[in-house]
Amino acid sequence: MDMELIQQIRDKARNLLEEGTVEGVIGYERASDGLTARPFFAYEPAAAERLIFDETCIHDLVKYLLDKKGKKMAIVVKPCDSRAINLLLNEEQIKRDKVFIIGVSCPGVVETSWNRRSETLQARCRTCQLSKPLVYDFLVGREVARQAEEETYSDITEAKAIANKEEFWLEQFGRCIRCYACRQVCPGCYCPVCFAERLEPLWVGIRIAPEENRVWQTMRTFHLAGRCIGCNECERVCPVDIPLSLLNRKLEKDVKELFAFQAGLDPEESPPFATFKKDEKLEFGA
Amino acid sequence: MKLEYQPKVIGFLCNWCSYAGADMAGTSRMCYPQNIRIIRVPCSGRVDPLFVLKCFQRGADGVLISGCHPGDCHYTEGNYHTRRRFALLRDFLDYLGIAKERLRVEWVSASEGQRFAEILSDFTTELANLGPRSKV
Repeated sequence: MDMELIQQIRDKARNLLEEGTVEGVIGYERASDGLTARPFFAYEPAAAERLIFDETCIHDLVKYLLDKKGKKMAIVVKPCDSRAINLLLNEEQIKRDKVFIIGVSCPGVVETSWNRRSETLQARCRTCQLSKPLVYDFLVGREVARQAEEETYSDITEAKAIANKEEFWLEQFGRCIRCYACRQVCPGCYCPVCFAERLEPLWVGIRIAPEENRVWQTMRTFHLAGRCIGCNECERVCPVDIPLSLLNRKLEKDVKELFAFQAGLDPEESPPFATFKKDEKLEFGA
Repeated sequence: MKLEYQPKVIGFLCNWCSYAGADMAGTSRMCYPQNIRIIRVPCSGRVDPLFVLKCFQRGADGVLISGCHPGDCHYTEGNYHTRRRFALLRDFLDYLGIAKERLRVEWVSASEGQRFAEILSDFTTELANLGPRSKV
């Protein structure tokens, strides 16, 4: 644990709360297993002492900003999470002057579950190109030159080569209990009424069937096409371990290839489905 | 009696070009396969990928989305959005095990009755060759 970095976060959080610049600070604290981290909201200057940051801080806290609209909040943001901020800024879901961003130069995070943490970095961290957040008001931590692996999408190539893909995916979707945790945790999923909750017409039927789950999962992913920032929170929270990253990353790869676009890198650039080019050559039609 | 496999095709046709094109095929008394169930939409841009998914879930063998040629959209730019959306969806469906050949996006103008009939015969033949969708 980098105590110097943690002290910087705590000092800044305390200052912001004391000065009244922000109403609250969204960060991480040690979970009660004494090993992993959990999200924490500090509203009193004294509470700032509970803030931490280390490689177990895996959560993307940006989702909470959507619940705190209108309030000025400070938030601890990793480089990957900063892409979610850019996404929400582009889609005008949050206002830049309502957020104070404490950016952290992040060396990568590990896999954690209750009372357990892995020794190796998460796969997404190994290919991460960002050494510091893309957007921040205050930067903590030392910026380290990253030795990022090249993104090859080998998992997608493998999934493409599955002999009976429909069988494979229906088996995966068959486990889905439609708890919608993947949606609730996603910084890009914020529609006031989700298509899955619409009753007229009933897009996703109530019956328990892999085909119904497939409609849900396919559309959930597709609504995030060109918007998914790859935080992989959906896969983390899935209680039945559906490999959701295989869905999100497939579209991420296609969007990169077709439209040369990556979500959340620039708040001024709109996702590919919000715009078009007249003379582009796509797979069908002139 | 031998029952031959007849693929079920759902067609989303835009009101301004393709629906009129299909109408033209009809009034010109051209023959085309009767496998298609046509749904008229105001613009091909109205077609939500969700519609396509729902068609496949409910047992369609193929889905045809047809609109005005790029540049001719009644609403100026609807079909450019269609083009982007379904270029991505086709490959995504394929990835999930629904062959991309089962989803077609075509541009048919109001005067192209002949073209509409040809596209439909071609599509139906292709779907018949693919056979019924596997019941997993």
